[in-house]
Amino acid sequence: MKNDLKVYLKYIKMRFLSGLEYKGWWLAALNVLFTCVTDPLSTILMFARMGNVGEWSMERILLIYALAVCSFGLAETFCRGFDVFPWAMIQSGNFDRLLLRPRNLAVQVAGSVFHIHRLARVAFGLGAISWALVRMGVAVTPFSALVLVLALAGGFLTYCGVFVLSSGIAFFTIKALDWIFILTNASYQVTRVPMDYMPRLLKRAFTFVMPVLLISYYPASVVCGWGGAVWPGLMAAPVGAVFLVLSTIVWKAGVRHYKSTGS
Amino acid sequence: MRRSLKFRPLLKACFSLFRIETAESLQYRAAAIAGASIGIFWGLIEITVYTVFFLFADRNEAALSLPQVVSYCWLHQCLFGFFSMNIDSEILAKINNGDVGVELCRPLDLYFHWFSKTAGKRIGRFWWRGIITAAVALLMPAGYRLGAPDSSWVPGFCLFLISIGAAFLLCTSFGMLITAIRMGITWGEGPANMLFLLSLVLSGAYLPLQLWPDAWQGFLFFQPFAGNFDLPIRMYVGSLSPGGGAAAIGIQLTWTAVFIASGRVIMKRKLRNIIVQGG
Repeated sequence: MKNDLKVYLKYIKMRFLSGLEYKGWWLAALNVLFTCVTDPLSTILMFARMGNVGEWSMERILLIYALAVCSFGLAETFCRGFDVFPWAMIQSGNFDRLLLRPRNLAVQVAGSVFHIHRLARVAFGLGAISWALVRMGVAVTPFSALVLVLALAGGFLTYCGVFVLSSGIAFFTIKALDWIFILTNASYQVTRVPMDYMPRLLKRAFTFVMPVLLISYYPASVVCGWGGAVWPGLMAAPVGAVFLVLSTIVWKAGVRHYKSTGS
Repeated sequence: MRRSLKFRPLLKACFSLFRIETAESLQYRAAAIAGASIGIFWGLIEITVYTVFFLFADRNEAALSLPQVVSYCWLHQCLFGFFSMNIDSEILAKINNGDVGVELCRPLDLYFHWFSKTAGKRIGRFWWRGIITAAVALLMPAGYRLGAPDSSWVPGFCLFLISIGAAFLLCTSFGMLITAIRMGITWGEGPANMLFLLSLVLSGAYLPLQLWPDAWQGFLFFQPFAGNFDLPIRMYVGSLSPGGGAAAIGIQLTWTAVFIASGRVIMKRKLRNIIVQGG
């Protein structure tokens, strides 16, 4: 375990330094930032035109949305290898090389790609969370800070789980994995719907199947005191861990099933 | 170096290229189904958000009604195949590995050669994705269904069809302009990506342009990217005055011409001192 962590950190350091060799890396970071800033544009403009929806203000929605986006950005930064795995490793046949090395497979895959510019999404997320909290005048107690950290940790685990899951499925399907987009970039769009008005099917799917709401709405609700029980707000980290473990089972089944692809 | 540009053989060659690419890209039905399913999911979420706003928000001051916005979301998903956030992968590979040199040996104008290929691919991608999305959208339950075209003004629907064609040319010519810009830039995809994203935002993909702040409406109507999705869809849902239809198509075609002309000029300049990479 200690050795694995060492290998992972070494990989990340290596990729980080090689990334800095490209003179345009800051441009790529700017690019990601631009994507993040324009993404919630429709929500902001709709609130500007139509005003609040009942108790729901723009700050509320942005807080929930930013929690999900920030978690996604963290997973994308530190688990990018799994995100691009179906394309970079399976379809190209590069995975065979990893199998030859006497080191933990998951560590090798997770560390195979690291893009520093992906941190722009995390920076945007943290900025938006702080902005929303200040605007709503929410006092951050040690307890609520803990809830936020646990939410981000749980979100990180959940989105890592999504990447691992899609990589595991890629062993069986090889191609046609675009639908996974619904669990990645499209999943945090769900947080733009005010919870009280969300169709029940959507609410259930994104609480019990893919726990986006558990890592965004419920922690935010506890931190800002929007009512309701406290315990769902603390569920982010355990649920994220369970999601990741379940995904790992699929991944392991995939590795066992693997019989080489590509040339 | 100036190659004589004979019109008829050029047109024939380009049309053949276009046909080959279209036929080829129509083969990828699994990709189309995947694309359509993402589009449908996206459309459903967007419609849910708009429904909440239209029914429960404090003020209901929008230039569009809720059924119009619902139709807008679906049509946007149907037409989305025209648009691409990337330079054509085959062409980009040629730029990066130096095969541009081989392309230049062909007795064919490079700009229109690539234009036809890009166009063919986009038509193929649009076709299945658009049909599947439209079929699903028409079968949705009441509040989520794609509405019928605005009936009060029949020629509007004909103009809508013409405008779709113009939108297709506009999207493709903008893609070609970015391709031409990309030919010389050695510092990666950043600038190209940002230009594509800008065009996406301003084309009404994030929010129908008529729901943007009222003060910006003049600018939003005349800027080039409204023609990608927003102007054709306005004709369908009937949020454009009858006289506005012809003006909108005029705007689309004008910007298409501007993009083609500037794309050609930039490409010609880049080719004058091109460095062929690789070997």
